[in-house]
Amino acid sequence: MGAVSTPARRPEDAAGDADVLRRIRAGDPTAIDDLYARFRRPAFALARRILADDALAEDVLQEVFLSVWRDPSAYERGRGSVASWLLAVVHHKAVDAVRREESQRRRRSLAEEEMVLDEPVAARDVEDDVWTRVVSERVRTALGGLSAPQREALTLAYYGGYTQREVAALTGAPLGTVKTRMLSGMRRLKEELGGAVAEMTGGALGAAPTPEPGR
Amino acid sequence: MTADHTEHASFDELAVGWALHALEPEDEARFVAHLAGCDRCAVTVAETQDVMAAMATDLPQPEPSEGLLHRIRAAVEETEQLAEPAGVPAAAPARPLRVVAAAPRPAEPRAGWRRAVPMGLVAAAVAAILGLGLWNVVLDSDRQHLQSTVAEQNAVMNSLLAPGRATIAPLKEHGKAVATVVARGDEVDVITHGLSVNDARSNTYVLWGMDGDAAQALGTFDVTSARMALKTVGSGLTGSEQYGTYGISLESGRKAPSRPTGVVATGDVTS
Repeated sequence: MGAVSTPARRPEDAAGDADVLRRIRAGDPTAIDDLYARFRRPAFALARRILADDALAEDVLQEVFLSVWRDPSAYERGRGSVASWLLAVVHHKAVDAVRREESQRRRRSLAEEEMVLDEPVAARDVEDDVWTRVVSERVRTALGGLSAPQREALTLAYYGGYTQREVAALTGAPLGTVKTRMLSGMRRLKEELGGAVAEMTGGALGAAPTPEPGR
Repeated sequence: MTADHTEHASFDELAVGWALHALEPEDEARFVAHLAGCDRCAVTVAETQDVMAAMATDLPQPEPSEGLLHRIRAAVEETEQLAEPAGVPAAAPARPLRVVAAAPRPAEPRAGWRRAVPMGLVAAAVAAILGLGLWNVVLDSDRQHLQSTVAEQNAVMNSLLAPGRATIAPLKEHGKAVATVVARGDEVDVITHGLSVNDARSNTYVLWGMDGDAAQALGTFDVTSARMALKTVGSGLTGSEQYGTYGISLESGRKAPSRPTGVVATGDVTS
């Protein structure tokens, strides 16, 4: 098991997450309660951010937790942590939902998307969870270290649920440029986040001694 | 190596876009075909997901409502787990990610409906079926498996997107949607998404059009996997759309009997 530390969660959580997932695989329905206890807040935060609607965000959470129950083998051991995988599923489902709801939802303007980054953490409804605060600060700093176009491309895609072509249209950049910005931005974020994200080898985001194209 | 990496650069970009669920359909198709055999991309996707998880922490973290856990528990109680896909080792470390993109939403009873579906409106039918949550995007290192999954999904989409009128009836087994009948013109398809796998040597599923006490066998089919699949059970039929109720039975032997014996699922088309 690649027990990895996942941001906002204590490093020892990863082993516990894997254990909860094992119980789900074994058909223990009470393990879903434990999975929920572990992930409801980051999952809800993410879905709510993308959908801008609490009820829709809860629907997405229900869908995600139920999908984990239904097919826990969707998580492949050996690639990333349970937490990263689960939040990626939440992201995926929330983006699907926002695309379905498109006509009803007024998509936030570009300016609003960017404003989120300027909201002070203290003003948010965050519990006084020191660990979360520390990691969150680190993410904000990392995002702050990106070039403006990189940050724009990644935040629009990740928090806004926009496709690459939509990001290109919103930012007035060619599609190819947007693709390149997302990759270079992710590389930079991973580098900045250092130990906050898992160490893997052989991927395109670096960290491993893999020669990168164009360097 | 350098040449390889340069050639691979566009896939590096697509891997990040794919993890972000931000690819355009044509890029997605290209990437999915590539990912099945590429370890580097599987790692890139996992790395990107890690960074994304970190980004999720940069958000206000309020509590969802108290009712949510109860709804999830209730849904879990009435949802059976999928069996592990046969013949696939449980934890081969070199396998790329498998992403399940959808899950059932059992809390939402969906009425069947009959509707003259002009081409554009078939989207509603598609949405209803996708809403059943059985749209699994399965990426497997087994390319054969991947291709057949993609082919199945394409077949389902094509069937739903074909122009013309369609009659659609969701069929339920113990209250759980397990199949959807799509009758259109002289062809009847069944999309299975939860019927148990049958033993094709000794029994068969039969689709029935039901009208009061009368039942007309429309065709037979086998279920070979728990995943969603499209079966064309009848073609060249007339009046296959006229029924108000459809049913599926499991029958011993390989032929439809004159009357259904072991009905496993039924569903109404309602206007």
